[in-house]
Amino acid sequence: MKRLIFWIALLFGTLFSTWSVMGQCNSELYVNKSMKSLESGFQYSKSYRIDGRGGNRRKVEYTCVFSKDTNYQIRITGKDGAAQGLIGTLYDSKRNELVSSFYNNKFLEGWTFKCRATGIYYLSFTFKNSKSYCGAAVLAFRR
Amino acid sequence: MRKLYLLFFATFTVWACSSNSAPSNEADTQLAKVEGSLDEAASIKVDDDIINDILQSIPSPLEISLLIKEVGSYYNKADLNDHGKVSTYSTNFDKALNLGIYGTDLGYANIYNKNQDALNYLNSVQNLAEGLTIGQFFDYATLKSLAESADQNLDALLRTTTANFEKINYHLRQQKREHLSILLLTGGWLEAVYLTTLVHQRTNNEVLREKIGEQKIVLDRILLVLDVYKTRNGFAELIADLKKLQSIYNQIEIETVYEEPTMVEKDGVLVVVDNTKSVVNITDRDIDTITSLTKSIRNKIIN
Repeated sequence: MKRLIFWIALLFGTLFSTWSVMGQCNSELYVNKSMKSLESGFQYSKSYRIDGRGGNRRKVEYTCVFSKDTNYQIRITGKDGAAQGLIGTLYDSKRNELVSSFYNNKFLEGWTFKCRATGIYYLSFTFKNSKSYCGAAVLAFRR
Repeated sequence: MRKLYLLFFATFTVWACSSNSAPSNEADTQLAKVEGSLDEAASIKVDDDIINDILQSIPSPLEISLLIKEVGSYYNKADLNDHGKVSTYSTNFDKALNLGIYGTDLGYANIYNKNQDALNYLNSVQNLAEGLTIGQFFDYATLKSLAESADQNLDALLRTTTANFEKINYHLRQQKREHLSILLLTGGWLEAVYLTTLVHQRTNNEVLREKIGEQKIVLDRILLVLDVYKTRNGFAELIADLKKLQSIYNQIEIETVYEEPTMVEKDGVLVVVDNTKSVVNITDRDIDTITSLTKSIRNKIIN
């Protein structure tokens, strides 16, 4: 009986802690922060929620359709402060890496991509030494 | 005790599986496969993550609207849908499609600082959003206030409008009403393409011509998702119409030549120049057919 109670307690304890970690990421907060750091002249287009579910999700990826002769800007903000622990990487349709916000061992708050080829791109968010696994990014464009 | 172990591991397995979403490029392939098999077995359930990824990938109509203004085109109210028609859209299918259409018209009127038109479209958007029980996610008061002073707050107005539509789409998906989300996006996209073809007819602008051709990529993605809901009311006819448009787009080629990008870091800001180039091969005949087909599909939706 004691063992049974132990296992039930363990099960509920684990589930509770998992749910509470998962419930802690309010990406919406970081969308607004990211939006504020967009360069003037860039028009807001989309937001991306980056919820690593307490470290259980190693990559959050989105597909984008980018147009030639358009500049796209990504701004990332996370719960760890600025873009700390969050990396935004852009790949083309053939999975060639084009740019990453982890540059020279620094977490940059984003990048600007001067697109010259219309097509499908992949925007991938990963975590490095992240404490919260939580944040958001925004995409803006300028011709 | 064994049952308890099983329960413990089963719970973890279910949780672990649900925390991994399908990678995007695999998602497209998977959806294409599922689409094929849907013809044989209509009951197959497509992963919500895959649908959401495609919905999220559809570009904002604002990109096209801003381009239209940039090429020097004038504002013509008659090009847009009549805001007064809003009361004639009675089904959720019509409401969602026309919410997308009015959303693009609202952005368009805003860009040209046509305050009164923008306010009229704002009312139509609010009306349809309420009809779809998503009005609470649309911040009418803020948008109205920004629209009234659009000449000073255009950036804020466009940003807030885009964010509101994004919120509507997000909540539709959260409520498992993705079929309405894709209709909203389809309406918004179609109106943007329609406006581009109209302005191209008047200006014969090369950039707009290429922009029309590039829509091949977006149309393919829209149809992938619409097809999932083909048994729902109204979808079959819309899909058939858009597939006619797709058959023209299938003749258009987008050629891409890959080159390594170049990168510059300036004051902590990373700027990457894509050296890959793409060219859209589209004939005058293709443009004419796309122009007339887009017009007829759009007219069917708004009337």
